[in-house]
Amino acid sequence: MVIALLGLVAWYLGWQRARSFAPAGGVMNRMPALPSQHASFLMLCTIVPALLVAAAWPSVSSRLVMRSVMMLPAAKNLPASPMDRDSVLSEAAGLADGSIEGAFNPLSYELAKPIAEVSHFYTLTGAVLLVALALVGFAIGYFRLKPSFKARQKVEGVVMLCLMLASLVALITTFGIVASLIFETGRFFTHVSVTEFLFSTHWSPASDVVASENNGFGAVPLFWGTIFIGAIIAMIVAIPIGVMAAIYLTQYAPRSLRAWLKPALEILAGIPTVVYGYFAALTLAPVVRNWALALGMADAPSESALAAGLVMGVMIIPLISSMSDDSIAAVPSAMRDGALALGSTKSETIRKVLIPAALPGIVGGVLLAVSRAIGETMIVVMAAGMAANMTINPFQSVTTVTTQIVQLLTGDQEFDSAKTLSAFALGLVLFIVTFILNVIAIMVVKRYREAYE
Amino acid sequence: MSRSLSQRTPTDWSSPEQVRQRGRRNLGERMFALAGMLAVIAAMACLILLLGSMLYKGIGGIDLKFLTGSDATDAAEAGIWGAAKGSLLTMAVTLGLSFPVGVLTALYLEEYAPKNRWTDIIEVSINNLAAVPSIIFGLLGLAVFLNFMHLPRSAPLVGGITLALMTFPVIVIAGRNAIKAVPPSIRDAALGIGASPVQVVFHHVLPLALPGILTGTIIGMARALGETAPLLMIGMRAFIPTPPNGILDSATVLPVQIFLWSDEIDTAFIERTSAAIIVLLVILLGMNGIAIYLRNRLEKRW
Repeated sequence: MVIALLGLVAWYLGWQRARSFAPAGGVMNRMPALPSQHASFLMLCTIVPALLVAAAWPSVSSRLVMRSVMMLPAAKNLPASPMDRDSVLSEAAGLADGSIEGAFNPLSYELAKPIAEVSHFYTLTGAVLLVALALVGFAIGYFRLKPSFKARQKVEGVVMLCLMLASLVALITTFGIVASLIFETGRFFTHVSVTEFLFSTHWSPASDVVASENNGFGAVPLFWGTIFIGAIIAMIVAIPIGVMAAIYLTQYAPRSLRAWLKPALEILAGIPTVVYGYFAALTLAPVVRNWALALGMADAPSESALAAGLVMGVMIIPLISSMSDDSIAAVPSAMRDGALALGSTKSETIRKVLIPAALPGIVGGVLLAVSRAIGETMIVVMAAGMAANMTINPFQSVTTVTTQIVQLLTGDQEFDSAKTLSAFALGLVLFIVTFILNVIAIMVVKRYREAYE
Repeated sequence: MSRSLSQRTPTDWSSPEQVRQRGRRNLGERMFALAGMLAVIAAMACLILLLGSMLYKGIGGIDLKFLTGSDATDAAEAGIWGAAKGSLLTMAVTLGLSFPVGVLTALYLEEYAPKNRWTDIIEVSINNLAAVPSIIFGLLGLAVFLNFMHLPRSAPLVGGITLALMTFPVIVIAGRNAIKAVPPSIRDAALGIGASPVQVVFHHVLPLALPGILTGTIIGMARALGETAPLLMIGMRAFIPTPPNGILDSATVLPVQIFLWSDEIDTAFIERTSAAIIVLLVILLGMNGIAIYLRNRLEKRW
């Protein structure tokens, strides 16, 4: 708040000063920068150092507070082990800033008051430091303003720096994902062997891990369940419907109908997955169970691969349909006209010319759809079940990688247990597989687009 | 040439064989068109079935008390305002972070970035981030923001940051398309009268591309608003009987509330869940409607 105010004041003063450079009668165009650019320069000089301090100060000051508290006489009574000491100190800090009402440890009450005093002192120090820095920055900037000063170049340099930093966020995020997944997975594999994780077919994670023994971390049933639901059942539903819908919309539907149907398909794509999951669990699962009973499966479970897969297929339809739509539209009309001129009927043209020509684009879309489906979480969490079965019976309950990640991480376990860490190993596998699928899909679609341009 | 043509026996179009063949082709033609229509009808039927079943089960549950109340153990007392406020706070954080970063990245990549390996890497990572499963972002949030940086659990701040990481690639991709659509003549004209590259972009290109960028932003925000899985990972599934007051309080969001209620055994919660779904869908459809309206009204065709 204060910084913003200071910045505004600086901007105004800089503007005034730059205006005063202009000769009376006001011909500005001899100066290399406009008054507003001088003003922006001065504002940046004022607020950037202050902002940096403001961002760093809380962590610095909390460390300073803790150090001075440790020197108090009362701190002598603190428990020796670092973990107990930290818990008492954090309780005391909570009491001091009023975020907690009562403390567990009596010592916390004793420490709360000094902590409040000390942190008050450091907050004040920080504020003073901040204002001082802003003033120093302002002074330096102010005296650099001259009619010949190239304020624009300086300001634009800062803008370019911001742009470059923003574009690095994507890289940092990707790096953060890879680093955190690999780090936690590495810790997991100190408890459980890689071969057990990747090749064993027994999944029932044990809380207490015994080294060199099978601890129920065999992820093969999860991989199978994921593929079964996401890449087989969902695709059997989504590919024919999606591709045929795209063909109908681009080739047959009258323009007015198309104008209504395309947004309707987009609505299907915009429905949150938790809604699909609820629909699968509440409406479709009982129906599927009745089918199974009718087919003579006596112990049909209420959660099944089929219910989850069907709904996931419906969710995927718009994705496949819009990718197919794009790639069919990208086929040069000369090819279509040529086929029609040779006497093929409309459907022959579509089946023998348009679809083969658009196939790379459609395949790219299907790959993206598979990547979406195997990473999809809420539908399978709500409808597929928890039992790690290796079955090809769609009426059986299966479990998937994403279901187990949610299952493992939403309980109240210790963060360091092998059970929790295994979620990160599953996440890493999921990330690698979807990454490969995405990259292939992006490459296929890109190359295909270039072929017709 | 002409002799060989005239010597060929002309096709007898009315021969039974030809009639049969034409009939087959016509039948095939009709079947194919029918299959296409059936596919569209099937997709629409799913949509109608889904919306219809939610409306049927939940419309009775929407009243003032439901809209203004917060979560409760008793289904009759449970309302969605607490979760809606959590959603609002989370979305505010997400928008505040992802919009500037997304727009600046799009501007940099489209207008300034040199064509080199480094830019290619950034591009691939953005395209990939847009397709990474959302639950992976949840794992990132759990490992980095909660366990490494010790930010408060269940807080809209952490949820917002996590969703922002998910949303900004969407904004970048939409933004780049919008910026690409601004014709080069605009840039040339501005450069020609002496604007600097930064002035060209911020005074001319960005305002013209803004409708397209906003459309992409709204669609990205709608996606973030419906997201559940990453927020489960970072603990926004707590029982929240009072609405959160700030971005550091414990909170939950609408989709997670739906998930939590769907797990309740008490059948009275079915109506609550469906009603919450109706509210969520109305908000999302509204956002998508605004996006489509913006796209049709404000976007210029060059």
